[in-house]
Amino acid sequence: MNMLVTPETRSNAATTAKEPEVLLDLENVSLSFGGVKAITNISFNIMKGEIRAIIGPNGAGKTSMLNVINGFYQPQEGKITFNGKTRRSMKPHLAVSQGIARTFQNVALFKGMSTLDNIMAGRATRMKSSMFWQILYYGPARNEEIEHRKKVEEIIDFLEIQHIRRTPVGKLPYGLQKRVELARALAMEPDLLLLDEPMAGMNLEEKEDMSRFILDVNDQLGTTIALIEHDMGVVMDLSDRVVVLDYGRKIADGPPEEVQSNQEVIDAYLGVSH
Amino acid sequence: MEIFYDVLIDPFVQMVEAPDFLLQVLWEGLVSGVLYALIALGFVLIFKSSRIFNFAQGIMVVFAALTLVGLHENGVPAWLAVPLTLGVMYVLAVGVERVVLRPLVGQPDIILFMATIGVTLFLIGFGEFVFGGENKVMITEALGIPTGAFEFYPFDGFLLIEQKDLTAVIMAVLLVIALITFLNRSSMGRAIRALGDDHQAALSVGISLSTIWVIVWFIAGVIALATGVVWGARAGVSFALEVIAYKALPVLMLGGLESVAGAIVGGLAIGILEKLFEIYWGQPFLGGNTETWFAFILALLVLLFRPQGLFGERIIERV
Amino acid sequence: MLYRTSGQFKTSYESDQALFPVKQDAWLLMVILVAAYVVFPLTASEFTFKALLVPVLIYSLAAMGLNILTGFAGQLSLGTAGFMGVGAYACYKLTTIFPEMNVLVALALSGLFSAAVGVAFGLPSLRIKGFYLAIATLASQFFLVWLFEKWAWLYNYNASGAIEVRTMEFFGIVVTGPTASPVTQYYFVLAVVTIICFAMINLTRGRYGRMWKAVRDMDIAAELVGINLMRAKLTAFAVSSYVVGIAGALLVFFWKGAAEPNLFDIPLSFQILFIAIIGGLGSILGNFLGAILIVALPVVLNVLPETLGISINSATMEHVNDMIVGALIIMFLIVEPHGLARFWALIREKLIIWPYPH
Repeated sequence: MNMLVTPETRSNAATTAKEPEVLLDLENVSLSFGGVKAITNISFNIMKGEIRAIIGPNGAGKTSMLNVINGFYQPQEGKITFNGKTRRSMKPHLAVSQGIARTFQNVALFKGMSTLDNIMAGRATRMKSSMFWQILYYGPARNEEIEHRKKVEEIIDFLEIQHIRRTPVGKLPYGLQKRVELARALAMEPDLLLLDEPMAGMNLEEKEDMSRFILDVNDQLGTTIALIEHDMGVVMDLSDRVVVLDYGRKIADGPPEEVQSNQEVIDAYLGVSH
Repeated sequence: MEIFYDVLIDPFVQMVEAPDFLLQVLWEGLVSGVLYALIALGFVLIFKSSRIFNFAQGIMVVFAALTLVGLHENGVPAWLAVPLTLGVMYVLAVGVERVVLRPLVGQPDIILFMATIGVTLFLIGFGEFVFGGENKVMITEALGIPTGAFEFYPFDGFLLIEQKDLTAVIMAVLLVIALITFLNRSSMGRAIRALGDDHQAALSVGISLSTIWVIVWFIAGVIALATGVVWGARAGVSFALEVIAYKALPVLMLGGLESVAGAIVGGLAIGILEKLFEIYWGQPFLGGNTETWFAFILALLVLLFRPQGLFGERIIERV
Repeated sequence: MLYRTSGQFKTSYESDQALFPVKQDAWLLMVILVAAYVVFPLTASEFTFKALLVPVLIYSLAAMGLNILTGFAGQLSLGTAGFMGVGAYACYKLTTIFPEMNVLVALALSGLFSAAVGVAFGLPSLRIKGFYLAIATLASQFFLVWLFEKWAWLYNYNASGAIEVRTMEFFGIVVTGPTASPVTQYYFVLAVVTIICFAMINLTRGRYGRMWKAVRDMDIAAELVGINLMRAKLTAFAVSSYVVGIAGALLVFFWKGAAEPNLFDIPLSFQILFIAIIGGLGSILGNFLGAILIVALPVVLNVLPETLGISINSATMEHVNDMIVGALIIMFLIVEPHGLARFWALIREKLIIWPYPH
């Protein structure tokens, strides 16, 4: 586990503790599908090193929000600034090389591939050896394979999934699949990790495990995390700040305790007519 | 510059100068288009109700025609051969449901698609094994299909319309009307459409999957027989006909896999356009026989600009 | 006992990622290679070379190419034969334009032509998915065969419209044309297939293999882990068509000796597809198993009635063959969608843990 914490990331974590720095900033983002508004004029930011929760009732636009952040959907309006770079639209496969990785609400693993291959696929953008060496499986290709395998094995140890290394992920139980997906996202060594309902459908024990892993990732790797979650207990325990969406609008933003007592949030969850 | 004129302008000049010939070409194209549309309709029905891309639909056309002619050759009178052939198509539908669909239910689409390729090969082997592989003549007269031709003289020209082609068009129109009425008015038709909209939901309100599959495959078989009779009357009956069966595939690309209207419009459009292209461009400039690929390339180009086909709705991808 | 893996410990990632981490697999491969390179050439008759060994190798290679695209990258193709044709015609033109060119070089270059055509017809895959793409690949099938017929330059303006392979030498040994001995041709084909097979094994277990399989299993997720879909799909089309093209060139130059355009028509495409399905999609080994079955079945069906003393004409047996292959495909899809390769994997697993049941 200690292998993962390079001196560099540790110093990063240390500086962020002193003076908070904005990692991601969304300004007046709007997204619609053929007239149906999914997100309306939302602005919020994510600080380096924090765990940011995005909550809201079903259909509030949470997942769309993540899709906008990693370039899967292109917002019609608004500005997105990540790591100092501003953009409106971006090809989704470029998100990873910019430092954004994510997991999905309905596990999006490569079902026919082994756990190991799934996690190795997370390093796709970092592997560069040419087809010539790949065909020979020698020289640069082999060295690269071994070098990345080492990194992947560290992640496997970190998330305690050694025993399922060779199993095709389609055969794994749901809880483990979620963990493999987290492993794949970590293999991308992101600055910002987006987790879409990482604990959906899990039992208490699995939830505790997952919470522990999320905190460890944040602590030991210094990774900034944005997560969508329905379990309020988990949200309150894990997150530094919470943003609340309802019908595609932002209705509250702040520390968990503050949001929890916000009247508009309570109304949204209990369904008071507007 | 000459070549530009020859390719881009001259064909249209020819069309205007000989409008009767143009009409003839359009009519020929329309008749082919009607048949493409019919085959495509069989595909759409099966796809709508079971999400199965039935590659065997084209072969079912040949198989049905071959069975009909084969029975007649073996001394069965036409009035009996038709219901017997329908019976064979029903047995085929039940067989496919039992042997292929039921064991494979819930498998990925691609597996079922490949299974229908297996059915295709089996039907080719079986048909040739029973009835022989040589080219046969459709029993046009025994079925009472007129074989004469009407002559018209539009624009001081000459237009020949064969009666069997006219029969084909009329039969196709009646078949389509019957089918649409069935889908919209009968309870079974509504059940089929419900399956197309949402499999799980349809099952949960108590629609029996296997009954519907048998019925749908049987209807597809009836359409196949009708198509086989009229196409066989034009081109003879043998498995060489399968080439026209492949034509239904670009029709589906254009019209969308689930749209009845798309199959009809797409079929007619492809029939007419490929004929026009062949006569005015293919034969003079490309050495002819462009009908083998024109429809595919056309559909491909259209799909590049509209990946959902002409009638499909834009798909929003979710994760 | 034979397949016991206990005691074979891996102490480094190098050894864990070796081609055959289990010793017995390597031995088995040695046995097969010895059989292919030593035993068959010493024992096989001319008929066996022409009717079984050479076609099995060539069809395996074509199926392997298709498997890269369909089994690994998940892009269903119904137009394999068209690309085989491109390889064959390219090789034919190369050897007529440059008569001095080494056969092996011509073969390697002709693969490049089919790869280029493959990429061109693969471009729609960036916009079109699933069944629509499968139909789109038929466009290449029909268009290419039409082109082979109409473009007289391709067949050197022969009156017959067919291409005929002339006698060519490879370092002084006659390898193509009517005077080439079947054993020489067999060795040549075997060597080419061996080389490409190892190349494909390496390619599919490395970076490209993972990229392709990721696209196959879930293209959206692949894109979101940073895989460039365009790159992944087009490299799959390129590699696949390269291999398929070489198989096509081998088919004409080292087996049939001559070809008409309709050789590359849709029945050949399907035959290759069936080999890939029955052998196992997403497997390299499976292609060989599938090819053995598909090539041997009609031969057996032709020989069997004779040995039993029944006379059935060969056309009838051809129909029976079609029926059996069709039924086999359905059966395989029902019983084991992953084909013969999975059967072997299951047997191997059983052998490893034998005599214990689990």
